[in-house]
Amino acid sequence: MTTTDFFIPRSIDEAVGLLGQHGADLVVLGGGTIVMGMVNDGLLFPAKAMSLAHAGIDGVRDVDGMIEIGATTTIARLAQLNRLPILAQAASMFGAPAVRNMATVGGNLFAMPPAGDIAVPLLALDAQVELAGPRGRRRLPLDQFFIGLGQTARAADELVVAVRVPLTGGQTTYLRYGRRQANTPAVVAVGVRVVAAADGTVADARIALGAAGPHPLRARQAEAALIGQPLDTPSIAAAAHAAQAECDPLTDALASEWYRRRMVGVYVRRALESLT
Amino acid sequence: MDHSITVTFKLNGKPTALAVEPLTTLRSALREHVHLHATKAGCGQGGCGSCTVLVNGEPTLSCLLPLALVAGQSVTTLEGIGTPSHLHPLQQTFHDHFAAQCGYCTSGMIMAAKALLDQNPQPSRDEIASALCGNLCRCTGYTPILDAVEDAAEQMRQL
Repeated sequence: MTTTDFFIPRSIDEAVGLLGQHGADLVVLGGGTIVMGMVNDGLLFPAKAMSLAHAGIDGVRDVDGMIEIGATTTIARLAQLNRLPILAQAASMFGAPAVRNMATVGGNLFAMPPAGDIAVPLLALDAQVELAGPRGRRRLPLDQFFIGLGQTARAADELVVAVRVPLTGGQTTYLRYGRRQANTPAVVAVGVRVVAAADGTVADARIALGAAGPHPLRARQAEAALIGQPLDTPSIAAAAHAAQAECDPLTDALASEWYRRRMVGVYVRRALESLT
Repeated sequence: MDHSITVTFKLNGKPTALAVEPLTTLRSALREHVHLHATKAGCGQGGCGSCTVLVNGEPTLSCLLPLALVAGQSVTTLEGIGTPSHLHPLQQTFHDHFAAQCGYCTSGMIMAAKALLDQNPQPSRDEIASALCGNLCRCTGYTPILDAVEDAAEQMRQL
């Protein structure tokens, strides 16, 4: 099958209009690294395609006390975001330089596991997703955006246009374990954020996991195991154990479900220990 | 029915216009339309780096980039950085250090290395390895490649 049209809209309004007009026939590219890989492999034959590369939604700005990152902002750009160290950390460990120059923050939200690393620090930071559609714009928490394997809360006539990251407090870190040092999907990725109370106990915690389920996810029982506790060996062990129990990893050529589950425990422990 | 589109861009410094099918990749355009074969077709997934070219000076995977998106941009391939009689220092040092065996990764390696040296004329060995981490070589074991890039960096600093 031949692709008859490749649209490169100059604004989000134009992009939403094209999506409404062409509907499910239209395959949407952010940076193209996912879609074009599928096209090259013969897994996808788009009748029509649309790139958001020139829709004016790249870049980083301050909005309402939050940092708004346009959907087509590249991973290379995220790696320079010193104000969000956990996100910069994850971005600098993502793929390889040429991939980082192309892949986008919005597109990566649609990566199939074990890919999709960028959502891990974003979940740890309580990021929101902004969607644009014919009914206007809406925002929802990122952890409500992911629904299932290859399924998101995006309606068929909507586009992801930005993520917003609140400037939250707390200590953060990101660890990523792969079979090689670089340019390999994760065996497991872990992002943590721990907010300390005045008495030194944990007031709030986020533990986000990648390659550990049908989509990037928060380990809520692991978070609960920390809250109200001092961040010490017993509470960290409890959180690591909980994360290992509640995750739902996949088996692929890189690692089995069995192995990934154990590595979730190891890397949640290591991430939390690094904050003590 | 012909759905082809015409894309105008700068290729190795020369204004170029190509008529291609809508989703044709930069890699296919280079190899099949202008017959510049240095840029290799490898995995098609962004995993091997053998199709690496520079778009506006940045290393880019030409197999994942629709040509339509390089309209108005500047593309540099291996053919654009040196000639057989005037090799780029990286081309010369890859030769001197036996950094190419089968040669399939070489164009991508050199383009990724060029992007690094253009931004960082004095990289450490670790920085070279990081810059080349998306480029797979199954022959050399990488050591001659790192040697070649280090040597080229030194030569380019003396130019």
